Amino acid sequence: MRAPRSLRALTAIVVAALLATTVGTGAAIFTATHRTIVRLVDERIAAAAGAVAGEAGPRPTPVLPTPVLLRRLAALTRDRDTGDIGALLTDARGVAIGGNVTLRRRLPPGYASLRAGDGIKGLSAGRAYTRSVGDGRMLTMIAETEPFDDYGAARLRIYLIGFGSILLVVAIGLTGFSRLIARRIGAMRATAAAIVEGDLQRRVPTEGDGGPFDAQAEAFNAMLDRIAELMRGIAGVSSDIAHDLRSPLARLRGQLVQLERRAETPALREGLAAAIAQNDDILAMFAAILRIAEVEGGARRAGFADIDLSALAGEVSGMMAPVVEDGGRTLAVAALPPLPVRGDPQLLTQTLINLIGNATRHTPAGTRIVLAGGRRGTSGVLTLSDDGPGIADEDRALALRRFGRLDRSRSTAGHGLGLPLAAAIARLHGGALWLEDAAPGLRVVIEVPLA
Amino acid sequence: MKILLVDDDPVFAAALVEELTGFGHALAVAEDGRAGLAAIDQDAYDAVVLDRMMPRVDGIALLERLRGDARSIPVIMLSARGQSDDKIAGLAAGADDYVVKPVEAAELHARLQAVLRGRQWTQGSSDTLRAGDIVVSPSRFRAWRDDQPLDLAKLELKLLAELVRGAGTVLTRAMLIERVWGYDFEPDTNLVDVYIRRLRQKLTAAGGDDPIRTMRGVGYMLRG
Repeated sequence: MRAPRSLRALTAIVVAALLATTVGTGAAIFTATHRTIVRLVDERIAAAAGAVAGEAGPRPTPVLPTPVLLRRLAALTRDRDTGDIGALLTDARGVAIGGNVTLRRRLPPGYASLRAGDGIKGLSAGRAYTRSVGDGRMLTMIAETEPFDDYGAARLRIYLIGFGSILLVVAIGLTGFSRLIARRIGAMRATAAAIVEGDLQRRVPTEGDGGPFDAQAEAFNAMLDRIAELMRGIAGVSSDIAHDLRSPLARLRGQLVQLERRAETPALREGLAAAIAQNDDILAMFAAILRIAEVEGGARRAGFADIDLSALAGEVSGMMAPVVEDGGRTLAVAALPPLPVRGDPQLLTQTLINLIGNATRHTPAGTRIVLAGGRRGTSGVLTLSDDGPGIADEDRALALRRFGRLDRSRSTAGHGLGLPLAAAIARLHGGALWLEDAAPGLRVVIEVPLA
Repeated sequence: MKILLVDDDPVFAAALVEELTGFGHALAVAEDGRAGLAAIDQDAYDAVVLDRMMPRVDGIALLERLRGDARSIPVIMLSARGQSDDKIAGLAAGADDYVVKPVEAAELHARLQAVLRGRQWTQGSSDTLRAGDIVVSPSRFRAWRDDQPLDLAKLELKLLAELVRGAGTVLTRAMLIERVWGYDFEPDTNLVDVYIRRLRQKLTAAGGDDPIRTMRGVGYMLRG
């Protein structure tokens, strides 16, 4: 047999086994008790019949006349020990000729069980023993198998209450146990989810009882601390590199600007201008790396204000329209219903400028760019669509990755960090950014929870 | 201009001194805040370029001490990391301007000029700005060239006002982004160039020569 895999399966198996053994034990005790009582009662009524009519069996006993039998029966009924035994003497035709009970049916020789339906007053369950006493006469001895009426039902009730309460205690125990496990595991899962959401400070709560769950939580937390440390290290390294390289690049730029000013031929001037532009691209890339680090650090959340995302988008699109038109594209604004959010206007402005700049840079002249706003559930959504060449399905995830520039765009200016920065800003706001097929073209969707 | 550079990084300081000297400034260097305070007490400077992070008395503490003594000497703060709360702290402590390292000498030079000019503007309280035949009234959202009204959009007017305020000195793209657009980042588009081009068209639409000079690789300057 395979070991159960899940806690639920194990619990079900344990409960089923417990139920089966409890019911089995109850039934066994019930049956064993009943059999013992029946055997004792059978022995007793057989002995009583023997006392009245002599030994039964192959050896023929002297056939006693009816008056003798009746006298002995009367004595039996009077006797204190046997006073509860019922007796019935019938003749060869089955007609009662003596005894102190009447029976609704004729019993065959040997033992039989009696129920309340047999019409014996005061008897709800009992045994009868019928034997021949010669001359076709039959003697039936009857005794109750219950010390009081409806004893079986009462016994069943006692068993149900007794074994039921055992089952109940076990069920409550198991429920409590699984609740406890679910709560502690739930705490761990909530922490993991929070970490995935970007709250890297979250840790699993401990109860301080030093139990295995606390030990588990502590191990988990230690792992998270270590991961955080490594991430800080990596972020620090990339920020430090970006930062440290900016000084020599700034100096280099200064020197190139001086040279350009003094350059004597247009070709030289042009070459130096191109070198300055490349230098500026590198500086912009480092600025973006540092900006992403700043955004992912989360400290800017402290400066969140109540703003209308649509108003901000309208302002930015108005501001960017000349830039887009200068590049030979058009920027139109569709519906922008009010979208109140909590956010950093500088970062959201930077996001929109980046995205509109991207849409201008990576599309052919004549492309139409449309900015629109709307609600999706409890979130405000801004979309920026263009009817340019778009990005193939398989490349969209890559475009959102840091330095994930697509081959097509490598020839154009930019540093491939615009979308990752925009995505980081969306995440800082508790939202998301993704790319869709605008058929034709690309649609960038920014979702920010409404305030 | 006589400038005191307070910075504890000798390599950075030496490079900056050499480059700013090339722009015609005379520089003295103090290697920490305490030495900086002593130097300001001993000698008169036109401006202070102050590093934010320093051992002993740091940039913010030095600045607070200066402003606490009601000394209004222009101060440009330098910081290693351009986090926005750093910038706010620097300006709150009384800095005239705030620049993130690394800074090009041309940028710092432009900002030093602007800080000194800014002092002159705030002393005169007139709302109307004038440079040559260009007049701007920021509070009335109006501008004229050669007495002819100019039809300018809001940002174009702000840009022109900033150029007029700094007429005769170079305004870098970073300075214009900060002051006209109010952004704490440098957008990776040619925003400034596009708006300058529009402004130029409007300024020269009724005839007249182009009053805006392009300082290649640095920024723009309005004829003084």
